[in-house]
Amino acid sequence: MNADNASTRRSFLKSGALLAAPLAAVAAPAVIAADDELKARLARLEDEAAVRDLHQSWLRRVNSGAAGAATPFADSKNVALDGSVRSIAADHSAEPDAIEIAADGKSAVGRFPCAVEIERTIPQDCTLAQMAHAQGGGFVRQTERRLLKVEYAKASGAWAIVKAEFALA
Amino acid sequence: MPGTPYPKEQMHRIAYTKLSEQQITSKLSGVSGPASASPLSDVFVGKSIRIVTDKGPALVYAFSKNNRLSVAENGGTVVQAGYGALTLDNIIFFAHLIPGAQRGYAVAIDQSTNLATVFELWFSGYEDNREIQREIYYGYVEQTGQEAPKARHAPTNRIDGKGYYWKQDTGAETLEFYPSAAYSNFVELSRFGGELSFCGPSDYIKINEDFCIYTRTECEFSGTFTAYVIDLNRVEQIGVRLGFDANDALEYYVFRGKGEWLGQLAQFEKFGDETGAPVPAAAEGQTPAKGARRVYRPFKTMAKMTPAQVDAVCAKHTSAFAPRAISPGANAPAASMAGNLGPSTSWLAGKSFTLHYDHAPAMEYRFDDAETLQWRKEGRDWTKARYQAFESSPGVVLFGHLLEGEPNHDGHSIVADFHQGLVTCLNGYLNTPYFANEAGVKIHFGVIEMEGLIPPKYRRHELTDEMIGRAVSQNYAPGLTSMHLYTTPHSLSWIIFTNADAGGLEWSGPAAYVKIRDGLYFMYWLEEACNGTLGTILVNLHTMRDVGIGYNCGENGLNMNALGAHERLAGHFDVKRFYQVKASGGAV
Repeated sequence: MNADNASTRRSFLKSGALLAAPLAAVAAPAVIAADDELKARLARLEDEAAVRDLHQSWLRRVNSGAAGAATPFADSKNVALDGSVRSIAADHSAEPDAIEIAADGKSAVGRFPCAVEIERTIPQDCTLAQMAHAQGGGFVRQTERRLLKVEYAKASGAWAIVKAEFALA
Repeated sequence: MPGTPYPKEQMHRIAYTKLSEQQITSKLSGVSGPASASPLSDVFVGKSIRIVTDKGPALVYAFSKNNRLSVAENGGTVVQAGYGALTLDNIIFFAHLIPGAQRGYAVAIDQSTNLATVFELWFSGYEDNREIQREIYYGYVEQTGQEAPKARHAPTNRIDGKGYYWKQDTGAETLEFYPSAAYSNFVELSRFGGELSFCGPSDYIKINEDFCIYTRTECEFSGTFTAYVIDLNRVEQIGVRLGFDANDALEYYVFRGKGEWLGQLAQFEKFGDETGAPVPAAAEGQTPAKGARRVYRPFKTMAKMTPAQVDAVCAKHTSAFAPRAISPGANAPAASMAGNLGPSTSWLAGKSFTLHYDHAPAMEYRFDDAETLQWRKEGRDWTKARYQAFESSPGVVLFGHLLEGEPNHDGHSIVADFHQGLVTCLNGYLNTPYFANEAGVKIHFGVIEMEGLIPPKYRRHELTDEMIGRAVSQNYAPGLTSMHLYTTPHSLSWIIFTNADAGGLEWSGPAAYVKIRDGLYFMYWLEEACNGTLGTILVNLHTMRDVGIGYNCGENGLNMNALGAHERLAGHFDVKRFYQVKASGGAV
């Protein structure tokens, strides 16, 4: 899917550049430089889009409680979110999401303001808590504003999450 | 010499026989229809009906007499059975067993809508065969040439908070409280003398705004099932009782009763939430099995220890007011109940006094600091102990400590009123008769002897019934809210709220109430045949806070801990009059 989209966008942008050339009446080396710049920009946009897709896909897994929520991680040992996180939703009242692709295009950092629903299990240290668990409760859920910072790496043309952690918003 | 109204053992102490399937089959053989003290209704005589249920059986009935019917389940074989039917306004309620089987049906039909609720009932569906299982089906009575109605009776929380006095045509008198849409609370006035209240899983089904159906299964006890239709306005009931009593005799009768409305407790769900099944029958994502319901089984799950085992665990681990990290384990201090604990006081630090109890040895105290005291009894050696103190009201201090070296591992929870010179001690102890780790309690009243303080000569704190009938909710910490219902002068029940703040599971235990001042009550409850805990709390109705001290021995040792909650008044039932001891026949 991503490859198809990239191909389409590249074709469109290339066409645009070619179309723009006569109007700008630039010299040949300048056209080549502009083409390289466009390619680099295109690559960044494609990477950003891929990272965003990966992020959304991962959030869907987290929010649906999918057992494979760790799948997008490059190394499952680095899964930073513990089992207490029940859902993550975009915080549209905060700063916009930011995705920075490294200059070499091999790593990226995403910063996503979000509202995190956290579930805390109440220890069964008294009759009241034991009964709460017995009736299917025994936990507390609360939503907190957090900044989700995610580090990504690209290997073999595919992005994966290296690390995800929450910071106070 | 008339007898007393009290049983040899209270319900939670009766060793109900573990009846085998064969024994139950034998006891049911030859049983025809249910008994009835009231005349049975002939409303069905000569008629046939077909009841269609959603996800349940289709039942074809033909009623030849007012006590004989034939029934075919799902088009199957027609069987003859005895039955009993009673009517209440437009509602018909009837019950029957299937001959040769350990099951039967109880059915409520609203003649004005033709809607029906069908309870399928059966024995031997749980490890304790005598405990009746039930599945509820909603449907209608088929009407020739008419479309099936779309409406159904449905589970409801609209009955939540009600309480009634009932007198059946059998003479049985009860107080019944519905503080949860999943459980209920009952006081057997005539069968057990009304000392204690007990709880059981319950169903509440709305027929319409004026009529509902209630059920209760006495799980953890006899396993007996009771179901009845209530006319909420006239306060009348018709229903069935099915099960085996403490002597294993079959109780199977339909009944009619009249009652009194005792009051209405508050509900804490959001407005608009009329969820009738606040406690899901199965875990999230799982399909409940037939008859599934959440049942609190404290007797089954509690630790049951001998005196030797108690001595051993106490020697291994005893702690008072220890931070949780110091005392791990399933029976560690109940830190969860200390989330809303108020600040402790250091007011006692540096002070010394003697507590003179009227009927117990005097206790001398020297308070080294805010957490360490020394005590001695009757001039014996001083013993150091860890304590915590809380000033609930000006001059009234709750403090507690364990009594190291006492053979029964005593713990004292003490309310001392330094403005009045009065003291009450709830003396917890172990090595009780049924299970050694189950706490017992003695109440000591007395006075404070202290420099500059002249105590009264005759006045004492006293047991009170001022709290009886009240309900008070307690929020101990986020996600941990319960409600106390002070059901009788000698017991209370606790209802655990769900995350939607609906009443959920409920249990009860022996209790007592001491008045310290107006609006200030010191009370205890014993989790007998439960976790064995002695809970003591000082309830301040002026600040709507409670502070308390728990005392518990389990497999991980003996612990004393502090607890505290924010409270809300939840209403009141008018019940004190039912506990007056009369000249003959005991209570009521």
